[in-house]
Amino acid sequence: MSVRLEMKNMTKRYGQFLANEGVSIAVGAGEVHAIVGENGAGKTTLMRMLYGMEEPTSGEILLDGKPVSFRGPDDAIRHGVGMVHQHFMLFPDFTVAENIVIGYEPKRGGFFDRAKAMADATALAERYRIPVSPTAVLGECSIGEQQRVEILKVLYQGAEIIILDEPTAVLTPMEVSELLATIRTLAEAGKSILLITHKLQEVMEVADRITVLRGGKVTGAVAAKDTSAEELARLMVGRDLEQLSERTEQRGEPLLVVHQVTMQEKKKKPVLDQVSFAVHHGEIVGIAGVSGNGQSELLQAISGLAAVQSGTIRLKDTDVTNRTVALIRETGLAHIPEDRYFWGAAKEETVAENALMGYHRLPAFSRGIIIQRKWFHHLVAAWIERFAIKTSSAHEKAGNLSGGNLQKLIVAREMGRETPLLLAAEPTRGVDIGAMETIHQALLEKRNKGDGILLVSSELSEILALSDRILVMFEGRIVGELSRAEATEEKISMLMAGGRGDGSTQATA
Amino acid sequence: MEALKQLRNSLLQPLIATAIGLAAGAVFISIVGASITETYQQMWNGAFGSFYFFMSTLARSTPILLIALGLAMAFRAGVFNMGAEGQMVLGALSAALVALYMPGAGVIKLLAALITGIVVGGLWSLLAGVLEAKFKIQLLISTLLFNYIAVLFTSYLVSDPFQDKSGSAALAQTAMLEKSVWLPKLFPGMTLHAGFVIAIVAAVGLFLLFRFTSFGYEVKMLGSNPFFALYGGVSQKRVMLISMFVSGGFAGLAGTVEVLGAQYRFVDGALTMPGYAWTGLMAALLANSNPIGVIFASIFLAALQTGAMGVERNTEVPLELASVIQAVLILFISARFTYAWWKKRKQGRESHA
Ligand SMILES: Nc1ncnc2c1ncn2[C@@H]1O[C@H](COP(=O)(O)OP(=O)(O)OP(=O)(O)O)[C@@H](O)[C@H]1O
Ligand SMILES: [Mg+2]
Repeated sequence: MSVRLEMKNMTKRYGQFLANEGVSIAVGAGEVHAIVGENGAGKTTLMRMLYGMEEPTSGEILLDGKPVSFRGPDDAIRHGVGMVHQHFMLFPDFTVAENIVIGYEPKRGGFFDRAKAMADATALAERYRIPVSPTAVLGECSIGEQQRVEILKVLYQGAEIIILDEPTAVLTPMEVSELLATIRTLAEAGKSILLITHKLQEVMEVADRITVLRGGKVTGAVAAKDTSAEELARLMVGRDLEQLSERTEQRGEPLLVVHQVTMQEKKKKPVLDQVSFAVHHGEIVGIAGVSGNGQSELLQAISGLAAVQSGTIRLKDTDVTNRTVALIRETGLAHIPEDRYFWGAAKEETVAENALMGYHRLPAFSRGIIIQRKWFHHLVAAWIERFAIKTSSAHEKAGNLSGGNLQKLIVAREMGRETPLLLAAEPTRGVDIGAMETIHQALLEKRNKGDGILLVSSELSEILALSDRILVMFEGRIVGELSRAEATEEKISMLMAGGRGDGSTQATA
Repeated sequence: MEALKQLRNSLLQPLIATAIGLAAGAVFISIVGASITETYQQMWNGAFGSFYFFMSTLARSTPILLIALGLAMAFRAGVFNMGAEGQMVLGALSAALVALYMPGAGVIKLLAALITGIVVGGLWSLLAGVLEAKFKIQLLISTLLFNYIAVLFTSYLVSDPFQDKSGSAALAQTAMLEKSVWLPKLFPGMTLHAGFVIAIVAAVGLFLLFRFTSFGYEVKMLGSNPFFALYGGVSQKRVMLISMFVSGGFAGLAGTVEVLGAQYRFVDGALTMPGYAWTGLMAALLANSNPIGVIFASIFLAALQTGAMGVERNTEVPLELASVIQAVLILFISARFTYAWWKKRKQGRESHA
């Protein structure tokens, strides 16, 4: 296997901070190279330098033995380096085919040649066995399909080296295995793949070689066949992982009661259709479902971010249906949102200011109308410590935190409110295995203390590990409920796909 | 360290804008055929060349500063209040009427007039806010239209019901205020009056409000990421209504101190002709809505105007020099805003998909 890409002694310095320090990796043609490591280890930074988005402080990039330096992503693409972004850079109003060819459109007589675009896209999709429907409008495609479009776009632009930064974080288990298959197909076709992920099973399944980063340095580089998930975990975290603590049986009074809630835009199919369930004190209720089946809307309805057309939502015996966010939060709700950049943070503001949201009117942290930031800083320092949030200081811009570290900050902020009810949507998205353990432990402790948690996760293993009861959503309805004892991955998957859980398939009118 | 860096970054762009503006002015001067250095020398002299001129510049900056502070408040909250002009004249006239017709001691009348000016300007502005909150009538449009209503209405009031009929020439103005309600001058024989002190105190107050209060925090977060603010329980409506009232109140105060401190009566057109509202808008944009920065931006823009007057007095270069420089500043600022807006939009799309 010939070496196609070499990065030698890459260093990236932000002020006093070294995000990468003398990192070297080599990737061959047809190789799947996984990069793993804790949150803030410098994985994304390394890839951004390769893709021309950051200028290396020092170091050398060699493509096929020749030194290169990229002025920007366009330059990288011209050299055959492509990146599939976690936040897709696609146009929702365009068709799949148009999105694939965008920027490099086929032309006839100076005009966009739609037919050729369609043909090219179809041919490309067939060649790499990536299923998409070229005529569909992108905005109506599932997240998984959008990601496939993003991959095809990169291929269309002629990438030989493809970077995937946490591509599986947003996918359903089904889509994950499809993506892993696609990655293998691409490797067999001679492409070099750089894959960042926190899920070690995926690494073991698909990677040829693995580089482990820690604190900006390479701490290990191994062939996948010579290692195991456990060993990788140890290399990454520097210790063995612990078992989750015991759960006590202690379900209490109803805390959140959702009764026949319907959310529907005029003359459209309801996004929530007569949804009823309850969350009790001292229990974790998990909601499983393919994303886009009403989970987001349900959380928005409960937290007051979106109005419902009928039904009632009661929290602690208070009717909070269509009330303001502030009132609902005051009544006793905290909320880990599913999209950390859209809802969960203000990227341009500091870590401390982001942490303050929801606390800024509490009497404990203000004197009259004046916020007492000094008092609050102790709390933030404690969170940074407990969840091992890697930041140069509380005055760092939140947007400069690595994805996983920002997620940890949001989790810490919402758990820190110590409200009776916590909505936790994808609480561990993008965090490393050590942090996942910390967060799971914290959620369980909260439950054991007698608080209620509504957990939404596309990660079935997470739902199964934490939930006392599991509800499955499909097309805006709750189509099944399983107790902790009876729940299995198969049963849930069946319900998620619209089946009844007893093997028969539900008619979806 | 951090704070210094921030200050430097926030100063950099206005300074570049200013440099480009002055360069464009230089081109204008050379086209007119005058000496660039001499003209700018005259301009400097006209604005700061003597204590008297300097004080005149500060006097001129006073209403600009107050209006800019109000707009800084609004823009930070993401609210587009384009109605400063109307809010200013309504506030000014109401204050003048209170000062003229309210019984009582001078100081009481003065205070009542100041408060009336603020409240009337604020309520007029708030009305547009309520229309948006209740009927989704866009602020940008309603506030612009409200300017016409307010300006024409005040114009009517002082050309008939409240017109000063004592003089022989029937000008559109109220009667003269009695001396006891005048805002004191800061130095004898100079135009600068106590309104400037009020404005500086207001700027510092606004700075502290942004920096230390929970309301200031909410405003900042709304401006930074409105979805995050919403998620955290910030009521956009409440912040919008408060911001509208405050920014209108500042505009009303701007008109009021001009009446009580400079003109001593409400004269039709005296507040609209110099374009205080629009210069105030520029000052707020130039300073990126930073209250302390707004002080300097307002003085700078006022100095352009008083300086240009000096240029016109002493050289062949016409007064329009100030307009040229301002126009280029506007271009630069709007380019920056378009770019920022475009970048934000792009980011929004990325994280939405
Ligand atoms: N623009 C920046 N300014 C300052 N520090 C930065 C900047 N970008 C990244 N960092 C820091 O560099 C470190 C590495 O960040 P990076 O995003 O590469 O981590 P990562 O390994 O991708 O982590 P994650 O698994 O959480 O995504 C982090 O501690 C982060 O705070
Ligand atoms: Mg990362």
